[in-house]
Amino acid sequence: MSDTLTRQPAALSAEQHILNRHWQTCLVCVAEQQDREAFGELFDHFTPLLRAYSLRAQPGAYLLADELAQDVMIKVWNKASTYKPEMAAASTWIFTLARNSRIDNLRRNSRFVNHIEVEDLWQEPEDPAPSLFEAVQLKRSQKQVRQGLEQLPPEQRHVLAKVYLEGKSHQQAANELHLPLGTVKSRIRLALQKLKLLLIKDVTRP
Amino acid sequence: MANHHPNEELLMAYSASSLPISQALCVSTHLEFCEQCRSHTQKLNSIGGLLLESLAPKAGSSKLKGQVMALLDEPRQTQAARPCKTAEVASNTFLIPRPLRQFMSDGYDSLAWGWTAPDIYTSEICRDDNGAQVSLLRINPGGDVGKHSHTGDEYTVILSGSFSDEDGIYLAGDFLIRDKHQQHRPVASKDCACICLTSVEAPIQFTGFFRRWLNPLICKSYQPQSL
Ligand SMILES: [Zn+2]
Repeated sequence: MSDTLTRQPAALSAEQHILNRHWQTCLVCVAEQQDREAFGELFDHFTPLLRAYSLRAQPGAYLLADELAQDVMIKVWNKASTYKPEMAAASTWIFTLARNSRIDNLRRNSRFVNHIEVEDLWQEPEDPAPSLFEAVQLKRSQKQVRQGLEQLPPEQRHVLAKVYLEGKSHQQAANELHLPLGTVKSRIRLALQKLKLLLIKDVTRP
Repeated sequence: MANHHPNEELLMAYSASSLPISQALCVSTHLEFCEQCRSHTQKLNSIGGLLLESLAPKAGSSKLKGQVMALLDEPRQTQAARPCKTAEVASNTFLIPRPLRQFMSDGYDSLAWGWTAPDIYTSEICRDDNGAQVSLLRINPGGDVGKHSHTGDEYTVILSGSFSDEDGIYLAGDFLIRDKHQQHRPVASKDCACICLTSVEAPIQFTGFFRRWLNPLICKSYQPQSL
């Protein structure tokens, strides 16, 4: 099975870091000055990624991919002022918009569920701007996740991609990868451990 | 502050949107109470951002950019343009977590509460594609839900008041999962009514001897509506 994650993680890093700062700056320019040029740059960079995100879950659905990309980019324009650079990388924020757009679309086409405001379930946190201490912590975590992801064994990365890019449940991922459910779960746990995203184990977490 | 939280796998599934809407509703309700889990979810979101960045770009039609740029001329939607759930709710709903406000016009009292058993009232708020039923449960002060098990997993978030079972005491914001193999017997604390959000994959089975006669009632109130 071919994995569309082509760029090998080692290529990320310093160059990537500069780019991240750049996208962050673009978002701020869109928010503060309705800067169309900055928006154009964001559009050129993220639209092909957003299309890839949509196609990853629904291969061949090009129209849907265009719709998702358009929907997300309009939201980028309209909601840029809610983006908090100290909370998240630009790609993280845009990922959450893409995820919400996908959920929204799935909901609208669902025959069963009564109307549910998706945005009320996956909303941007309304927390006040983080303190300096929290901002430093978040920054450190972002770095750990980036580095951890670069070093993740392919099989763990693959499971994460199934979950994050295709929205597959652990069971669906297990079925599609022809693995026992337990293997998928343990790969996810190992991955979270490497990304330093395991919560301190205490008895109160089921 | 909540003491019982969803585990990281569940928070990750929420962050990736790879979990059923019924469970997402419970997780997002807990997040309203829990700054710690909100912050963790924020960190988990960065996995999605990095994986998005690592995808092989799929360029599309060049027309798309023109279309989108043309749409930018329309006046920006502000937060107020969207029907704002917060504005229309009365003062007595200010404690209701945001994900749940869409299901009630005016506080918990405005819901249609159905009598389920002595001291217990339920109000179904939605049903998931997978059949899971999401309800609010109101237990009168000191009310005893009775020993029960489930044919599927049960997710609970305490919204107000508190209850205890064999394993401990749960306060507002606490998140707990009882799987189908676990029996438990929640009892509301004596000082006030307990309201919780529950998502059940399948009807509850009461197991206590004296409660067994209640089963038909519970099953009735938990019966799927004809679609
Ligand atoms: Zn929590």
